[in-house]
Amino acid sequence: MRPALRIASLIIALPPLAIVVWLFFLPFLSSAHLSLQRDGQWTLRNYHLVWRLYRYDVLYTLWIAFFSLAAVLGIAVILCGYLRIRTNRAVEFLFKIPLFIPFVVVGHAMRVLLAPRGTLNSVLSQFGLLDLNDPPSIAFGWLGIAVSLIWKNLALAVLLVLGAYRSVDETYLEAARNFGASAFRQIRDVLMPMSAASLAVAGAFMFTSMLASFSIPLMIGSGEQPQMLMIDVYYRINYQGDYGTANALGVVSYLLAMGVAGYYLRTITQKET
Amino acid sequence: MAGTVLAAAVIFAPMSSLVIWSFAEKWYWPHLFPQQIGLFYWAKVIEGDMLRALQAGFLIAVVVTGLTLLITVPLAYLLARTPIPFKPVILMIFLLPQAFPQLPVFVNSTTLLYRVNQGGKFWGVVLIHMVGALVFAVWTMTAVFKSVPESLEEAAINLGASRLKSFFSVALPLATPGIIASTLLVFLYSLDEFTGTLLVGSPFILTLPVYMYRTSVGYELQVASISALLLMIPGILLLLLLERYMKSEYLSMFGRI
Repeated sequence: MRPALRIASLIIALPPLAIVVWLFFLPFLSSAHLSLQRDGQWTLRNYHLVWRLYRYDVLYTLWIAFFSLAAVLGIAVILCGYLRIRTNRAVEFLFKIPLFIPFVVVGHAMRVLLAPRGTLNSVLSQFGLLDLNDPPSIAFGWLGIAVSLIWKNLALAVLLVLGAYRSVDETYLEAARNFGASAFRQIRDVLMPMSAASLAVAGAFMFTSMLASFSIPLMIGSGEQPQMLMIDVYYRINYQGDYGTANALGVVSYLLAMGVAGYYLRTITQKET
Repeated sequence: MAGTVLAAAVIFAPMSSLVIWSFAEKWYWPHLFPQQIGLFYWAKVIEGDMLRALQAGFLIAVVVTGLTLLITVPLAYLLARTPIPFKPVILMIFLLPQAFPQLPVFVNSTTLLYRVNQGGKFWGVVLIHMVGALVFAVWTMTAVFKSVPESLEEAAINLGASRLKSFFSVALPLATPGIIASTLLVFLYSLDEFTGTLLVGSPFILTLPVYMYRTSVGYELQVASISALLLMIPGILLLLLLERYMKSEYLSMFGRI
């Protein structure tokens, strides 16, 4: 590259890179540093506290993320299969809507819908399906968070999975139909195996986002244990000013996300070689 | 047909609750509909702080979008056309804010911003929005410029245009639809951003999502629902506008908002 172009490239690349490095990369690294400090000394006490106070929350968060991911992929794989084989523009459009609704709004809407005295229970009680004195509470529990994450991520999943399915050549499906395959068999034996890589990438992508969800558990979670990890970090900073433990918890969440993201990157680079 | 109705019910159920709540003046459990509906809370909201939060959010979104465009269009063009060293590394660096949990990182970013006296200030919030928004702009615009055939620019250069002129008269006009798509993506991201704004902006700079959160905690469900409805409108408008113009690749980036 000509030296003039090299210098120009450097100047052009600098502002955006500087912003991300200064306000994300550096704070990211300083999490590791701060997690090992307490009262100005190097110590592992913060990680002890995380183990003592938050290990159930780690499991809780992982449970919600895995459950929601399984549900989203399970629904998307079948739903998109039918959309691929029998086109239905209306349903396709409907499932794009949650993409454009911010996470906070989803959290609040689900809270109003699923609360013990929320609209869902009110509808069900009209049909006599509920005991009015003891309505079930889907909101304020893990299921409420999971339902919200599923609802929001289903839109993204449908988009990605349908895209992957659409790249499968029609001739494969025709061949399967010639052998008498039902729609379900076409999905299971043709569409799914041929889109396995894309499904894995979409899954990894959504898993890290669910793991790191903050606004939804904030809106729809209860105030009691267990909590999702991001809520714990927020409360630790806001109510206790304990940067050491909060950053230790942050580091734990990075490691969990890295495990999945590493797999995502490996699959991507394998696809391109 | 039954499938479509079921899909519609699943998609609209949460949103319909918001609509009903925003018009409810008196509503006691377990009645299916409010006893009394009206615009009382809408009037209350218009007189109150919500409009200020809405304006602040809009202004921030406009500034974020403008700045992001300014600094990423040239970079995206370079990434698409020239052999910049470390290209995959550069692209990955922009992906980091969306790949890792934002909250713990932003907690530390807030400290850094306070150190330069931008905590709780307008430019602090703008910067924290840009951290997350840059990836949308860089990745989509690089793809957009890549899709403009290089031969067209080479033809211009053969006819005597400089590199710069071919950028402005060939590449940029052809890339405009994609640039518009990523502009709207960045705008919506900034309008809807919650985590960074909550940490950096509170309590002085409030955008609509943070305002909505505060009102929902105080059990003012009508005000929260009205704010939520208003927050949905830009998104739905975008969906309708872009349904005709947007390719799926861009659409999938909206899933991160």
